[in-house]
Amino acid sequence: MLTYEERLKQLRKTKIEHTLKKREQQGYMDIDDFGTVPLPDDYEVQPWYNSPNGSFYGFDGMSENFCRVIKAHPPYVDPLEMLCGRWRDMLVNYRGDKHYAPKWQEKNKHIRKLTEEEKNDVGSKRWDEARFPYDHLKPYQEKYNITSGIDGDAHMACDYSIGLRLGFGGLLEKIRKYREINKDKKDFYDAEEKCLLAIVDFVQRHIDKIKELLREETRPEIKANLEKMLEVNQNIKWNPPKTFHEACQWVAYFNCASRIYTRDGAGFQLDVLLYDYYENDVKNGILDDETAKFLIANLLLIDPHYYQVSGVDENDNDLTNHLSYLILEAAHSLNIAVNLTVRVHKNCDQAFLRKAVEYLFTDRNGWPRFCNDEALTKGYMRNGYDKKTARQRIAVGCNWMAVPGRECPMNDTVKINIAKVFEVAMQEMDKKDNPSTEKLFQLFEKHLKKAVEITAAGVNLHLDHQWEVTPELIMNLMMHNTIEKGLDITQCAELFTVGVDGAGLAIAADSFAALEQRIEREKRITWEEIDKHLENNFEGVEGERVRQMMLSSERYCQGNSLGDKWARRINELFCKLIVEQEMPKGRKLIPGWFSWSRTIEYGSKVGATPNGRKKGEPISHGANPYPGFRKDGAVTAMSTGIAAIQCGYGNPAPLQLEFDPKISAEEGGIERVLNLIKTHFELGGTLININVLDEKKLMEAHKNPDLYPDLVVRVTGFTAYFATLSPEFRQLVIDRFVRGF
Amino acid sequence: MCVKGMITDIQHASIHDGPGIRTTVFLKGCPLHCVWCHNPECIAFEPQLLWYPEKCIGCGKCEEGCFSGAKVICGKEMTVEEVFEEIMLDKPYYTGNGGVTVSGGEPLAQPEFTLALLKKCRENHIHTAIETCLYIYHEEIFKHCDLIMADLKIWDEEKHKQYTGVSNKSIIENFKKLDKLNIPFIMRTPVIEGITDVEVKEISRFAKTLKNIQKYELLPYHPLGITKARALGIQQERFKEITNMEALKRYADL
Repeated sequence: MLTYEERLKQLRKTKIEHTLKKREQQGYMDIDDFGTVPLPDDYEVQPWYNSPNGSFYGFDGMSENFCRVIKAHPPYVDPLEMLCGRWRDMLVNYRGDKHYAPKWQEKNKHIRKLTEEEKNDVGSKRWDEARFPYDHLKPYQEKYNITSGIDGDAHMACDYSIGLRLGFGGLLEKIRKYREINKDKKDFYDAEEKCLLAIVDFVQRHIDKIKELLREETRPEIKANLEKMLEVNQNIKWNPPKTFHEACQWVAYFNCASRIYTRDGAGFQLDVLLYDYYENDVKNGILDDETAKFLIANLLLIDPHYYQVSGVDENDNDLTNHLSYLILEAAHSLNIAVNLTVRVHKNCDQAFLRKAVEYLFTDRNGWPRFCNDEALTKGYMRNGYDKKTARQRIAVGCNWMAVPGRECPMNDTVKINIAKVFEVAMQEMDKKDNPSTEKLFQLFEKHLKKAVEITAAGVNLHLDHQWEVTPELIMNLMMHNTIEKGLDITQCAELFTVGVDGAGLAIAADSFAALEQRIEREKRITWEEIDKHLENNFEGVEGERVRQMMLSSERYCQGNSLGDKWARRINELFCKLIVEQEMPKGRKLIPGWFSWSRTIEYGSKVGATPNGRKKGEPISHGANPYPGFRKDGAVTAMSTGIAAIQCGYGNPAPLQLEFDPKISAEEGGIERVLNLIKTHFELGGTLININVLDEKKLMEAHKNPDLYPDLVVRVTGFTAYFATLSPEFRQLVIDRFVRGF
Repeated sequence: MCVKGMITDIQHASIHDGPGIRTTVFLKGCPLHCVWCHNPECIAFEPQLLWYPEKCIGCGKCEEGCFSGAKVICGKEMTVEEVFEEIMLDKPYYTGNGGVTVSGGEPLAQPEFTLALLKKCRENHIHTAIETCLYIYHEEIFKHCDLIMADLKIWDEEKHKQYTGVSNKSIIENFKKLDKLNIPFIMRTPVIEGITDVEVKEISRFAKTLKNIQKYELLPYHPLGITKARALGIQQERFKEITNMEALKRYADL
């Protein structure tokens, strides 16, 4: 009889094979692993294009193509697992999208054409520009390198309790019931119904597959497992899940569907929402902890969705329960890419927090990460919401929070490249007319204000029309008011707190600091000379000398430095401009600093900068300092620096940390990391993405990634297999790495 | 009066110089000059120039300041207040048993400064520690330490002279005197294969006679000093990294 441990060992092996096969099929993927499995060789989708521009949109376009793609997905049943279902491909691929484009797409002429026609960064026809043009915004979006959010999708969180309560059958009844009431919304309901039926068909095809396997299976143990699987699948095809096993399977199916639709990865409070099922099953004697752990591991294997564990309820009571521990143990038993966030609050079980830190050391795969309840809750309340609502806003995105079912935050889809805004200001300043950092800051403010206005206009255009372009047909099933009103969530969310993310803080802060220090304080160089060197990209020996001089100025995150001072000032300005921006229809913009994988792309748009960064080099990552900011003490200095530039409205400025502590867990490593987490949070920090790594292994893997196909790094909010990252992206992780404590 | 010290470096978030998260203040100057020293830039008492030719970009403007890291001045005079200001940057992280370690070089070789700094830390409720070769005895300084980490590198006197440049007589005497102060201390030996590893047994025997010793710690050799010595124009021998550390550690158990 195979033990759970033996089964997991085999499943991990399969996972590695999948990772390598995916890299072959898709090329390097600088994104989340997403839990996908490779495409079968005969996989093919014939999309239905309903727009004259060659793409597809709207209720009919999205629902029809969802059906086509999910239908093309073969069922995935591994008799070693207890749950089934996997996803492999998503709708966005068929609208042409450079950002996610897997390699195999190149073979598809139509998609290639869509991608090549579009000159924007993502080369995508995700947005129906013919109907909803924004040509008037484009020059400014380019000028300030704004990622507008126009054409975005998902990036909100479902309220899974709705689906778990109703099941697919209940959801269908709900759709049909309200279709009768809101007769003018027939198109909406028809599309919802069509998608839901396609999901149920997906379940049915798994049932058929299990039966097929059962017919040939002779090993009693595997047979028993398949029979159990069959029973679970038959039960949840229409009915709401009743057991822990069924709940996990139901979630797995919904996640597959939601991923296929818009690669939505927002999870939920895993330990709380599944607790009743767990408790009930244990009471009824049909579940033991080992099985519960295996089921959780299986769910995490199917998809590294963003789940929150621990934290407190609206009355500050600890939410940590026995299942919270089992979830950590399950993730440990699997030890692959997972995205678990531990919510930290002083009332929470401290032993649990310690246990979570322990796994950072033992597993060294970038999980879990930690978010600070106090700063996030207080911050969100500043937008005018009560504590209960603020508390419900949980860590369910790569670097972002959302209130499940109630909020449409567009988080992580809207960004302003602050380094670019700085460059515009720097170029505009007349270097002959009494230039100064103060004047430069005034220009920076002027342009940042304009950038925020343009961003707001983009957000509004998007929110006004997303329902006509990319209605959230899958997520709508588990949102509040949607089915009831016959409206897309982008039209009827209770909370429209839209996140605007700044990118390149350190570049701007260090540039201001270097200019102040070297020109104004030390008078080592003039504005005109700097201008010349920026234009020449610091070429020549003299240029290199100047570059080194600027680079070695007082930088952000050195501790009470000029760079720290400018970072705080830029942050204050950024937050002020964002929150003061007027928005219609109850919408609000809220600031954050958590830009992630676009640091390479954004850097390519910015010329040489006064902080000594050369033209085209990547910009700084999120709220992090520019690499090489300090030769020692990086960990505490970063923690303090980043804690000081928190935006304070509920969106984070994460401390992104990769380091080899050079000390084992037993030698006091756990205490020190715990201390670091607690102190960072006491100072006001919001989120810690942490990689405890083995420096030697990381450097070896950088040279030859195939040596460690199972090495996972938390790239930022998301984790990825190091071997699947492009060399440039791996370099980013290496550059961020800080030595020792 | 401002007490000044000659500082090599202030290292934040250090974890190998005592418990918790610490800030380590490295002082310049040491009465010993161990052949394996991993901080050779801390031996001389006066400022020195470290020269890393591989970093030189050949701008020819050395006199206007070097920014490439090719020429680094090592040693800076700082007041207690200046050092303390740096220390305070990490104050929030000293919770538990983290704090400040004065190291070197030899902290007891700049007694006035070390004492003033330790007092200042104590006043501010910061855990204090020193790392010393114990060649010098300074009771008042010891009394301002929450922890003392003191090296006994070699038991044999002649050999001690040969490899560190001084006799160990006073060091051994100072250990005995220190033991009477009721301040916890850790005795340490850097393990250099063929030189100090064979001394561990004897040192351990002595350690067992001391009552306030917390533990006897063996520090693995690491060749970090070689590059820095080269930058000072000194050729430092590369020693072998110890392979039978675990076996040695058994002797070290008190």
